[in-house]
Amino acid sequence: MLGAFAVGKTSLVQQYVNSIFSEKYQTTIGVKIDQKQLIIDGQDITLMLWDLYGDDDFMKMKPTYLIGASGYLLVADGTRSETIDVAIQLQAMAAATTNNAPFILLINKSDLDETWEIAPETLLRLQQRGWQVLLTSAKKDLMVDEAFEKLAKMMLA
Amino acid sequence: MEKATPQDPEQLAEAARLNELRRLLIGLSQEELRRLQLLLSDPHEFAEELSQLLPYAIRKMIEKGEITVDNLLPFVEDAMHKSIQKNPQRLADILFPVMGPAIRKAVSEDLKRMIAAINASLESGLSPKTLKWRLQAMTSKRSFAEIVLANSYVYHVSHVFLIHRETGLLLHEEQAAESKSLEADLISSMLTAIRDFAQDSFKQATPGSLDEIQVGELKILVEQGPFAVLAAIIEGQPPADYRLTLMETIEAVHYNHVVDLEKFNGDTTVFRHTAKFLQQCLIKAKKTSTSKPPYLLMAFLFLGMAGLGYFLVQRYQHTKLLKSFANALESQAGYHLTNSDVKGRTIYISGLKDPLAAGPDSIREAMNIENRSLEMHFDAYVSADPAILLKRARVFLNPPSGVNLSLSGQTLIVSGKADAAWVQQLGQLTALPDGIQAVDDTGLNQLASDLTWIIPAIEEKSFGFDVNVIKLDNQQQIVFDSLVRAALELENYNQIYNKTLAIYVRSYTKRSNNALANEKVARQRAEEFISLLERSGVKKDLLKSQVLFAEDLNENVSLRTVHFAVFDKNQSGND
Repeated sequence: MLGAFAVGKTSLVQQYVNSIFSEKYQTTIGVKIDQKQLIIDGQDITLMLWDLYGDDDFMKMKPTYLIGASGYLLVADGTRSETIDVAIQLQAMAAATTNNAPFILLINKSDLDETWEIAPETLLRLQQRGWQVLLTSAKKDLMVDEAFEKLAKMMLA
Repeated sequence: MEKATPQDPEQLAEAARLNELRRLLIGLSQEELRRLQLLLSDPHEFAEELSQLLPYAIRKMIEKGEITVDNLLPFVEDAMHKSIQKNPQRLADILFPVMGPAIRKAVSEDLKRMIAAINASLESGLSPKTLKWRLQAMTSKRSFAEIVLANSYVYHVSHVFLIHRETGLLLHEEQAAESKSLEADLISSMLTAIRDFAQDSFKQATPGSLDEIQVGELKILVEQGPFAVLAAIIEGQPPADYRLTLMETIEAVHYNHVVDLEKFNGDTTVFRHTAKFLQQCLIKAKKTSTSKPPYLLMAFLFLGMAGLGYFLVQRYQHTKLLKSFANALESQAGYHLTNSDVKGRTIYISGLKDPLAAGPDSIREAMNIENRSLEMHFDAYVSADPAILLKRARVFLNPPSGVNLSLSGQTLIVSGKADAAWVQQLGQLTALPDGIQAVDDTGLNQLASDLTWIIPAIEEKSFGFDVNVIKLDNQQQIVFDSLVRAALELENYNQIYNKTLAIYVRSYTKRSNNALANEKVARQRAEEFISLLERSGVKKDLLKSQVLFAEDLNENVSLRTVHFAVFDKNQSGND
């Protein structure tokens, strides 16, 4: 899980799994790890979800945590357009570190229509670059399971 | 490439046709043929070409399973062996960059091991357990350190994780039978994250340097390999060489699964074969005893010490008391101790004792000593102690109360007053008490005779009567009683001193006016008085009547009175 500060990465993970580690790990060592068992096309899959600390001025994400990743979810906040820029920067770094592992861009907080800031053209432009983009809402549990399962399928492909 | 030289156009066309024919026949251009020819004719060139292909070919063969690493080992080993024999310096040069870190790591491991051993020794402390180990070391001829190392480790390896180094994914997990299941996948990832965090945060130059995490009694030992990491969860203090076990295990895993690890794609099923290696790491050592202080033993020791102390104090006091008793007895007159010895709770005393010496009981009771604590044996002897000499003299002489006895050397000094009989007895002694050589009785006075008070007591009495009356009034009765006591004493006196004293009962009258009649009346009066005395207990033979005439006397006397005089019957004759 990569993304700017307070875009809802942890909420998405919380919506998807039950964690044994507390969130304080994120603020202490910069990562919280969760696990999700699922079946894709009749195959047992274990997803190890590394929820990385939001990239902001106070604490930079540690690139080391990306090493060995099979795929990643880039998360942006639909009500803050600048988080898309952060996501783009993070993707560039992640692509290099993970040797172009598959990823999906999640535009979170899709339930907040009235404060939505991201223009459809922006998303269209990213899709034209080959990016997979999904609109999610951790709060309303919209497209959360689908996002993780889709990434799993992409990683298996 | 062969250079084209300007030639005859006919020749060029022929050559082109020939080339075309070659290409059609064998599919190779002349250039390619020339290169093949060069390879065949020049061994150096051929070897150069082959050297590029061989590693790739071998890798392919290993991947296909046509040959194994084991098949290649003898050749490689043999080659290395010969190479080292031929030129050792070459291998030294190759190993030089590796040996430094390897040696450093070995030294560091040894230091860690030593510190762990010291920690374990300190943890054991100076307990009865350590004393037992020292005894073991002495009897088994092994060093104490060896015994400590063999005994002091108390640990339990509950889980061993094999983790893919790059992805942090769990490859395989083994756990002790009695341990509870952990979220192994999550823990593996988290361990990897922590390792990455430490490495990132502290900018470690050497990767994989997070070797140990300790949380209270729980310890996670991490052993790094090139592709995988081994993590052991341990409760307590493992033996120092446990790190070596982990190293050997991770090496074995790499040796057997190097391709699987290198080409890991997320499928962990192949790593189930690492179970046999990982299980070797699940070791434990039972606690031989709890580390709490041995309260029970301490209590026993304390009670034992207290009991021993009490016994020693009691014995010391008892011995002291018995010795005091012996000293007191020795200083007592009439004793001479020849031996005194304390054995257990009894004192044995032997010696000499004068029969007149006081018994030991008064001293024993004064000192509150039980009779059963004493074993005494005395032979009789004659003591020359002054106190005993005096005692002996007193028994021998039986002096009356007015007599004092004292000693001057061996001379008995007798002083005071004694009656004539005792004085006479003393003067007639034919033998003296033992230990007394002489008697000095110059200070002894004989008591005056009792007559001095009896005779006046008798003779001072007188009774006056009316005519023809012999009757005592109340006043006279008191005087009469006194007279009777004196008369009775006179009788005793006669008996003691063998005397014959008697009392005249004198009745006074006058010659004038019929002397005879007067005498008769007077005698009768005397006789009647005698009978009065007789009735009071005075013996008759002590009494004698006597009539005296006033005219015969030189003094004035009252008539019709009775007086008394003491006389000796043997000397007076018949009056």
